[in-house]
Amino acid sequence: MTTDTPAGARVIFERPELLADRSTHYCPGCGHGVVHRLIAEVLGGLGLGPRTIAVAPVGCAVFAYDYIGVDFVEAPHGRAPAVATGIRRVRPDAFVLTYQGDGDLAAIGTAEIIHAAGRGELLTAVFVNNGIYGMTGGQMAPTTLLGQRSTSSPGGREAAFHGYPIPMTEMLAIMPGVAYAARGSVADAPAIGRTKQYLRRACEIQLEGRGFAIVEVISNCPVGWGMTPTQSIERLRDVVAKEYRPGVIVDRTKEA
Amino acid sequence: MIAVAQDSLALPGAELPAPAGPAPGTWSPLHIATDRCKGCGLCLGACAKGALALDETRVNVLGYHPIRLIDPTACTSCAFCARVCPDCVLTVYAAPKSLRGTAR
Amino acid sequence: MTIATIPPDPLHHGHRVLMKGNEAMAEAAIQAGCDAYFGYPITPQAELLEWMARRMPEEGRPFVQAESELGAITMALGAAATGARVLVSSSSPGISLMAEAMSYMAGSEIPMVLVNVMRGGPGLGSIGPSQADYFQATKGHGHGDYRVPVLAPSSIGEAMALMADAFELAEKYRTPVFILADGTLGQAMEPVELQFRTPPRLAADWAVTGADGRPPRVVKSMHLEPEDLEVHNRHLQAKFAEITAREVRWAGEHLDGAELVIVAYGTAARVARTAIARARDDGFRVGLFRPITLWPFPSAALAGAAGRVRGVLVVELSAGQMVEDVRLAIEGRTPVAFEGRTGGMVPTPGEVLDALRRLWAATTADATEPLKEARP
Repeated sequence: MTTDTPAGARVIFERPELLADRSTHYCPGCGHGVVHRLIAEVLGGLGLGPRTIAVAPVGCAVFAYDYIGVDFVEAPHGRAPAVATGIRRVRPDAFVLTYQGDGDLAAIGTAEIIHAAGRGELLTAVFVNNGIYGMTGGQMAPTTLLGQRSTSSPGGREAAFHGYPIPMTEMLAIMPGVAYAARGSVADAPAIGRTKQYLRRACEIQLEGRGFAIVEVISNCPVGWGMTPTQSIERLRDVVAKEYRPGVIVDRTKEA
Repeated sequence: MIAVAQDSLALPGAELPAPAGPAPGTWSPLHIATDRCKGCGLCLGACAKGALALDETRVNVLGYHPIRLIDPTACTSCAFCARVCPDCVLTVYAAPKSLRGTAR
Repeated sequence: MTIATIPPDPLHHGHRVLMKGNEAMAEAAIQAGCDAYFGYPITPQAELLEWMARRMPEEGRPFVQAESELGAITMALGAAATGARVLVSSSSPGISLMAEAMSYMAGSEIPMVLVNVMRGGPGLGSIGPSQADYFQATKGHGHGDYRVPVLAPSSIGEAMALMADAFELAEKYRTPVFILADGTLGQAMEPVELQFRTPPRLAADWAVTGADGRPPRVVKSMHLEPEDLEVHNRHLQAKFAEITAREVRWAGEHLDGAELVIVAYGTAARVARTAIARARDDGFRVGLFRPITLWPFPSAALAGAAGRVRGVLVVELSAGQMVEDVRLAIEGRTPVAFEGRTGGMVPTPGEVLDALRRLWAATTADATEPLKEARP
């Protein structure tokens, strides 16, 4: 919903076409909104809208299909990589994208993501990691940091009792089937710009048939973390990014 | 008396006039979808020029204080605000040559 | 290791071959136009997976041995959501893992065919044949208000024919469909005349194929507003009512003039048939009522058949599951006895014949006395 461009003015930034022109259910300041927009920009820029079949998770982003204008299949919790594998195998011409949170991918879905990545499935996996179970009210997740409070670790996560946060993307990157693994962040505009580049590369890798590609995006959850949006962005930049470090983790297309 | 203008409600006791569009011969570098803003404030932190503020005198249909461009002439159209906005509230324009310096 | 039991020539419709049940079902699915197969090794159906592993690539179609049954069924969900004709097979413990996806497929109205080659349970159980997944299959083993059609072959030839029917039912009603076989059927080798059928494809205007020149579609089961979910559930219930009205199947043998009837399906029906032949030689007029659809259960036909006899014997490879639906259908009008073996054991015709004799004695000695369970 943009107003008429002032006469002679150039549009620097506007809502991408594949992003629905509607208010979202996400909390104020939630990083999902940014990641949705980046996906819409990247898919649109590559002309993939008509070919994409995306797989929506269970979690806050369960409504992703209301916001991104492509065909979607809802997956049971954690199963998106398996659902996507089924789609990919029967529709070689489709562009297949999964969208998962940290509970979805790193808890209940560990088998599915490891095996899809291990098989080198031609999928682009988006992994939004905000270190908490947002949709169900703020419980501890596999990627919750040590010391971080949640409704199921009210005294803060302790290694001896709760175990350590799991570095899923680094673990996946070990496997030869993974052509590309990167971690982005929504902490500020430059980080968002780099995340978009990672997403774009991950999509290109599917188009080039190089293998499995995953982009983790560390994100904020103001309500789950018990902070204002601005405080949550500061924590994302100053605390989370030190443990889950942004950057390209592996790019096998550059080797050999 | 409550004034209703452009997707938001002035709160009782509000002093500021409703946001008005650019006057003829001027332009605005930002279009703000006021009805979708959730008042999260991330754009305020992103703006290096302090051109934006939360308008605490108004409430939009979602129940939030929407943002407002308070200093259009300071805006450089860098679009950092739009890029950090989770709700795609902002559309950013660069000035046409004829109207450079006339942002309102 | 699977031994090739048929000549290297491609299998042709009309050929008579000696074939293993698991392999016959697999080939029937391929000939019925199965686009993709997803599975996981489990006894006693591993040969189905292995047949698909060899044949699907020959046909240029996808085959995936998944990381688990959970992975397999969820891959199948994705593939079927695009409108593909998809088969999954497993055995009892693996089918338990598929309960989640069954509920999602029922709610999302995704068509698919699943083969359960039943084995002894509960838990890890045994690898012997069983019919103890009747409840699981017919009462909807995932959560929520739903039913799925359940087809029960009792011979390899029938299993092949029902495979094509299953795909057809699945697509006509947009539902998963169970084929409930057991370890005996899966492992046995029988001469069978190959009768392949490729059901025509229905237009799938609901499937996700890429929003090219049309609005995007979503295949989902979530309807968060209770009012919306109730509407959706009413739609599903109407569909189940239509299936119940139209798709009941059963077969009867020697029902005319029968004084006792055995109700049995699958391998139990074959054992019963032998027992009935011996009983008839001894002068007992016994018939067989064989449900082919376990859901929808042939209640009306069974009630009719039971009304004309003095006693009903239900034979199952379980502790008694279908017998509950038999009693519901008959509504107490005729005594119902039960004979079964569990844990992977198969009743012998002799055991069934003994049960028939006890039933006969019980229903003839004093017709007004309620029948006690005719079991030792």
